This record gives sequence, C-alpha cells and structure tokens, in this order.
Amino acid sequence: MSTASTPSLRRDLGLVGWQIRYEQRAYWRNRGRGIFTFVFPLMFLVIFASLNRSTRLHSQGNILYDTFFVPGILAYGVISTTFVNMAIGTAILRDDGVLKRMQGTPLPRWAYIAARIGSTIVIVALMTVLTLGVGVAAYNVHIRGSTLPGLVIMLMLGTAAFTSLGVGVVRFIPNSEAAPVVVNLIVLPLTFISSVFFPTNGIPTWLQDIAKFFPIRALADGLEYAFNPHTSGVGINGADARTLVIWTAVGVFLMIRFLRQPQGEVA
Amino acid sequence: MTFAQTPEELAIDVRDLRKSYRDVEAVRGVSFEVARGEVFCLLGPNGAGKTTTVEILEGYRTRTGGEVRVLGMDPAHGKRELRERVGIVLQQSGVQKDLTVAELVEMYGRYHERRRPVDEVIELVELGEKRDVRAKNLSGGQRRRLDLALALVGEPDLIFLDEPTTGFDPGARRQAWSTIRSLCALGKTVFLTTHYMDEAQHLASRVAVMNAGVLIATGRPEELGGRDLRPAEIRFTLPPGWSLGDLPEVPSEGRSLEDDRVIVLTRKPVLATQRITSWALERDVELGHFSVSQPTLEDIYLELTGPANHDHVTEEAVR
Repeated sequence: MSTASTPSLRRDLGLVGWQIRYEQRAYWRNRGRGIFTFVFPLMFLVIFASLNRSTRLHSQGNILYDTFFVPGILAYGVISTTFVNMAIGTAILRDDGVLKRMQGTPLPRWAYIAARIGSTIVIVALMTVLTLGVGVAAYNVHIRGSTLPGLVIMLMLGTAAFTSLGVGVVRFIPNSEAAPVVVNLIVLPLTFISSVFFPTNGIPTWLQDIAKFFPIRALADGLEYAFNPHTSGVGINGADARTLVIWTAVGVFLMIRFLRQPQGEVA
Repeated sequence: MTFAQTPEELAIDVRDLRKSYRDVEAVRGVSFEVARGEVFCLLGPNGAGKTTTVEILEGYRTRTGGEVRVLGMDPAHGKRELRERVGIVLQQSGVQKDLTVAELVEMYGRYHERRRPVDEVIELVELGEKRDVRAKNLSGGQRRRLDLALALVGEPDLIFLDEPTTGFDPGARRQAWSTIRSLCALGKTVFLTTHYMDEAQHLASRVAVMNAGVLIATGRPEELGGRDLRPAEIRFTLPPGWSLGDLPEVPSEGRSLEDDRVIVLTRKPVLATQRITSWALERDVELGHFSVSQPTLEDIYLELTGPANHDHVTEEAVR
C-alpha cells in the first residue's frame, strides 16, 4: 500500500475488503440470484448459437455467427450482472431500509457502495470466465493475445458504465416492486436494437441512431471488435470506448446524487 | 471508561427545533434536554412530529430551524465521530437477510472503532440459540432483538429506540425492558419513543409528550401533568340494600355512583380507605372489587393529547 495513505483511509479500505466478503457471502446464499446471473447468458448462448450454427455473417466480414455472438452474450452478461442487479438490488435495499440503517453506522457511504461495486466486479469476472470458457470450448471463439487488452479494457469500461448507471437509476425507480419493470423497460428494447443477439445493420437508420446514443451498443460493438479476427492492433474501438466513458461520467454523476440524498428525507 | 473522556454534561440539547415540509410545519419550536445516563421517553400520537424529531437527532433529516446538539455535535453535519457513539434502532429497517445473526453482529461491529465481542452482544439480547440462523428466518420479535444487538455492538454512549417493542407479546416486551434497563446500568443514555404508556412508566426517568408539533408536557412519569397532585380514586361496589348515603364521612373531592359502583375521589387515600373499610367491617358489609388508584400515565396522556380522546379516558379508567 502506498505510504501516502492515512491510517483511517487504510482502515476504510480494509473495511471495503471485509464488506466485499460479506456481500459475496450474502450473494451466493441466494440461489435464485446466482441462477439469473449465470444461467441466463449461458442459456442464450446455447440457444442462439445452436440456431445459427455455421452461419456466416457477411456484414461483419464473413465471420462465423459464433464469433459475433459470444461477445454479444458477454455484453448482455455484463449488463445483467451490473446494471440490472445493481438497480434492482439497490432499490430493494432502499425499500427494506438497509440503506438507511447503513447510513446510521460509521461506515462511510462511499465505502459501502465501493464494496457493492467490488462485489459486482467479482461476479462480472466469474461470468466472463464462464462465458468465454464455454465459447472457446464449444463454439468457434478464439481469444487472441494481440486484442486481449481491448477485450479487458472494454469489459472494464462496460462494468464501470453499467454499474454506476445501475446505482444512479434507482432515483427513478419508485419502489422495489417496480424495479424489474423499469429496468427491463430500459434494457430489453435497447438490447434488441444494439447488435447484441444479432447484427442490426438491417434495422431502420433512426433505430440505429438511437442505439448508438446509448451504451449497450457501444459495449456490444466494442467487445465484438476485440474478437473479430479481422481486427488489427490492440482491439480498442475508440468511438465505443468514448461512448462508454461518457456514460460512466453520467452514471457517476447520478450515483453521487443518489448517495447524497439522506435516506430519511425519502420516506 | 470512555465516559470520562467526554466532557459534555448533556447527551442531547434541543432548542426551538423546527421542521417544515413545504407548507406544513411538522415540528413547531421544540426545546428539551436529555442528561447523560437518563432514559428519556418521547410520547405522542401518530403525526405529532415524534419521528421527525428523532430522525433529526439521528441525522436522517435536516431541520428548518433551531439548534440541536447530540453528544455535543450537530447531527446535521453527519460526522462519523457521532455515528461511532450513537446506536440507532429505527422503527422499521431491514438487514442483509441472507446473513446469519452472528455474521450481522460481526459485520456491523466492524464499522466501529470500539466494539463489544459478538457473542456477548448476542447473549445480551438473548439470541444465543439463533446465533447461526439467517435473518430472514427470524420471527418479528427476534428481528427486533437483532436490531437492538446491531445498535449495541458499537458500544454507543447514546441509543435511540424508536418504538422498540411494537408487535411484541407481553413476555417478549418484559424481556426487552430488562435489556434496556441493563443498558442504563452500563451508564448509557437512552432516547425512547413509544406508544405504550406502561413502557414509558417502566423505563423512563423522564417523559415528554408531543402533540401537533409542540411539547405539551415534560416531567418524571409519576409527576407528568400534575399526576402526583391529582386525587386518587377509591372504587368498590355496594351490596344490595346499601346506598351512597350510608357511607361514612371521608375527606374527599367528590363521590359518585355509577350503576352499583362507588367512586370516591380523594387526596387522602390512606385515611379514606381506612374509614371506608372499617365502616364496612363493623357492619359486615361486603365491598366488591375494592381498588385504590392514582390516575395512570395513560389517563394523563390521553387528557393531554386531546379532548377527542376523553371517552377513551373513562373507558380506560373503568377497566
């Protein structure tokens, strides 16, 4: 650890570490949650890939559908483990009064949220390894050393954007029962027009423009770019990265607004 | 102990506290002090502004006006030092449901610089048998005791208890009371809000009654609203054939007959009781349901909080 860190900051970082452990323990005890996170992306992977076995995509440079599809599923997995889980989970914590209780303890609020984010990153990492493992083992996915930096950076940017947006969006969720509806209302339509499950070159331009404005398309494209065998260099698509950075800034802004609001005033 | 390190005499000092929500003034100039080591109880009907007041003290809400000091600090600043020394049991608040009692006590303990050993806290709230049970599988009363454990694990100097025994059965309530009393023995200050008059009576060293955003009475439970100065009530029934006029002269503020029930109001309950009972013994008259009572805290409370409740007062008094 750096010598610059004060003892109290060091203590707080230790607390974040402990809190990540508790969050993880709680997370894995709830079986339904684990199933949603891990089984859904894998299920989509198997179904879609089986339907389109050995199809080639001319629009993407004649690559195999699997090569296109695995990064798409990865993008979907990142969004569901970060944005969807964070938004619904935080809305429940808010409605149950857990956030309020936490606010009354000496644990700094940033430390609590940092731990929730840390715990989410652990889950994203596991989901990524699992999805890519299945992709490499069963489908024609190749992870190339040269574009690995692009893959990792895109995953990191996507996690940052969708995690912060997941916390930030809670302000607009009236109650935890409405959370899945609100979240799916945002995610599902965008997913279908964002080149996640199938290439969307054929859809109307105005729909494509909408998709390009939001970060789902950027993450899906960015990951696909890193996997595309025609990609040269380190595999980072600048435009996609820029979109994700901008949405991370939006997410962080909304997240801070949400965290600053005293829980008592909400009630 | 840590007590000596903190110079301030008052645990809580509130002056002219005000809170408005848009055009509604929920708290309209409330002032009170809570000394260290005291059990202070805030009573009042729903909507009186109790929760608003408590949540301002806890730092959950901002105030519109007035001065507030909790352990010498302004709760609006949300200082960590204050949160280190205050334990809060909210009226309703969830926990991480998938963790066990022991894990939760340990987890919330870690947030504090100083803390009690996990098992000691669990024993204090009598959850030893539920140590490894997940929070979601606890009963309502057990959950409430867990709330108390989580508020106590950080060795607080001041504890806020917002309706801590609502929904408890009588046995569990007695148990909680003994736990709360043991906190006082440890020198903690307790700020209690409750709907139950017997709870205030049993626990509080001082009571304040709030109504419509203002404090309408403050005092020790036995003195509140001049309770100690009120006449006592002697009640009994007379057997058939005897009437009010047959009774002996006693020092009284008035006597009345409701059906077959005699009510004597007196400031000299001992003398009056002696006269009546010896009169009855001499004549071999059986007095039924004989009782002597001071107005209860509940009687005083209902009187204070509104004329609309007066029917209720007589109803309670008959009981």
